[in-house]
Amino acid sequence: MRIRPPGAGALVRAAGIALIGVGAAGLLAHAADTRPAAWAVWFAGAALVHDLLLVPAVLAVGAATTWIPGPYRRPVQAGLAIGGTVALVALPVVLGYGRRPDNPSVLPLDYGANLLLVLALVAAATGAASAATWWRRRRRKSRGRSPLR
Amino acid sequence: MLRRPRTPDRRTTGRLNSPGIRRSLGRASTVPATVGDRFTSALHGERVAAWLGVWLGISFTVAFVTGLISHFMQHPPGWAAWPARPVGLYRFTQGLHVIGGLATVPLLLAKLWTVYPKLWRWPPFRSPRHAVGRGLIFLLVAGALFQVGTGVLNIAYWYPFPFFFTTAHYWTAYVLFGALLIHAADEWAKVRRHVPGGSLDRPLRPRSAEDRTRRGFFASVAAACGLVALTTAGEAFTPLARLAVLAPRRPGVGPQGLPVNKSAAAAGVTAAAVDPGWRLAVTGDVARELSLSLAELQALPQRTARLPISCVEGWSAEGTWSGVRLRDLLRRAGAPDGARVRVESLERGGRYRTSTVDPPHWHDPLTLLALRLNGEPLDLDHGRPCRLIAPNRPGVLQTKWVTRLVVTAP
Repeated sequence: MRIRPPGAGALVRAAGIALIGVGAAGLLAHAADTRPAAWAVWFAGAALVHDLLLVPAVLAVGAATTWIPGPYRRPVQAGLAIGGTVALVALPVVLGYGRRPDNPSVLPLDYGANLLLVLALVAAATGAASAATWWRRRRRKSRGRSPLR
Repeated sequence: MLRRPRTPDRRTTGRLNSPGIRRSLGRASTVPATVGDRFTSALHGERVAAWLGVWLGISFTVAFVTGLISHFMQHPPGWAAWPARPVGLYRFTQGLHVIGGLATVPLLLAKLWTVYPKLWRWPPFRSPRHAVGRGLIFLLVAGALFQVGTGVLNIAYWYPFPFFFTTAHYWTAYVLFGALLIHAADEWAKVRRHVPGGSLDRPLRPRSAEDRTRRGFFASVAAACGLVALTTAGEAFTPLARLAVLAPRRPGVGPQGLPVNKSAAAAGVTAAAVDPGWRLAVTGDVARELSLSLAELQALPQRTARLPISCVEGWSAEGTWSGVRLRDLLRRAGAPDGARVRVESLERGGRYRTSTVDPPHWHDPLTLLALRLNGEPLDLDHGRPCRLIAPNRPGVLQTKWVTRLVVTAP
């Protein structure tokens, strides 16, 4: 089955180049608002912080979980990844630098406590998944079948 | 995506992380040629990257389209008028933009983790063409991280960057979406190879251990995206408000049970707003200029409408507003049917001191100059003595502390 007529890729690429051009021109034309030098630092900085700090930290945490026996490792790693991303997204509200004395309807909750609650639920789910794995393996063993993998 | 080494070590597939690193370092004879080759998990493979890429492409397209809607609603081009109905359309599109954007963060991080080994390919540039391709990937990755990063900071009202968020976020969106289109065209063949629907002639294979590993990984990513959405969506979708434990706003929390974006103190209008000499002027291309005191406005027929405040930052909440229909007032002044109306605030400056109301909105019977909210006179922070409230309109254009309407004939 052919989805694209020939040449569609070239058209899409040309549209992509044009949009990048529109964006770059707009960023430069509104320099008073976009502050191109600062923008470039944040733009490239986002990629650098991700590639050189965040991912290596994730890999290090992953490497630190390799002592956990195989079948239990995956739920733990999944729990760490889920909890970690939720914490990362929540970090700005937890830090609360956006609070203003004149407007208590901005950031009205105790986000630190709320995040801990969410992380506790993730940890509980991880524990439940590990317990379920343990239970399955025990049943298989007691039936005399070969253990999971 | 990633060139996977065909070593006997492939038993080690199916780990969220890369035990291949340790193993390879431990055995000099099998040290791979590049750092990238040390990532041996199936989760760094082409199939995972293709699936995540499809979801990410859909997600960023939705964000781009809803973002454009928000932009052009605030800066309408001459040839298109935004409709006043359905009432909650902007509430929906902007809620989708912000909550969808938040839920994209785990998806984006998962995708970048999956293709991370490609970052360290050696040599970094094989040819000028390859270098250009990697430059475009850099625009894609940096653009995606910039957009979600600044977006997440903006809704938390935290501005550590010196540029103006709205303008930078808007123009960067074109760079990101352009790079996304090019990437989609470049990777289309891989997507067709792995994603059902892209190709019908993919042979059915028995499910392998790698398949189960991938399924588990996708389930984890979906759980993270879902958890982010679940803990924030309630700031826009009120029935889930109690679950919105990580959202920057809570419907029901604020003066008169409604959140506020800019307080009277921050706008510098406190004294002028409580001045008993306050009057509302209707001027411009009208048959009769009007100047009304608060008592005179209150003496006009009062209407009630239940309308949401839908903030560009994604939160929204409904209130019961009552006051004078804008169209009643403009007809009293003899404004032409096709006129545009500039609504001016008591504010001395600021980007949102005034807003323009086009004919579809001021003819709508739900568009009010509200004097009361939820049964009480407007709170100072909600725009006392008089504010604009209209259906299907961003919160920043629901001008508060209104003092003047300037009519411009078509």
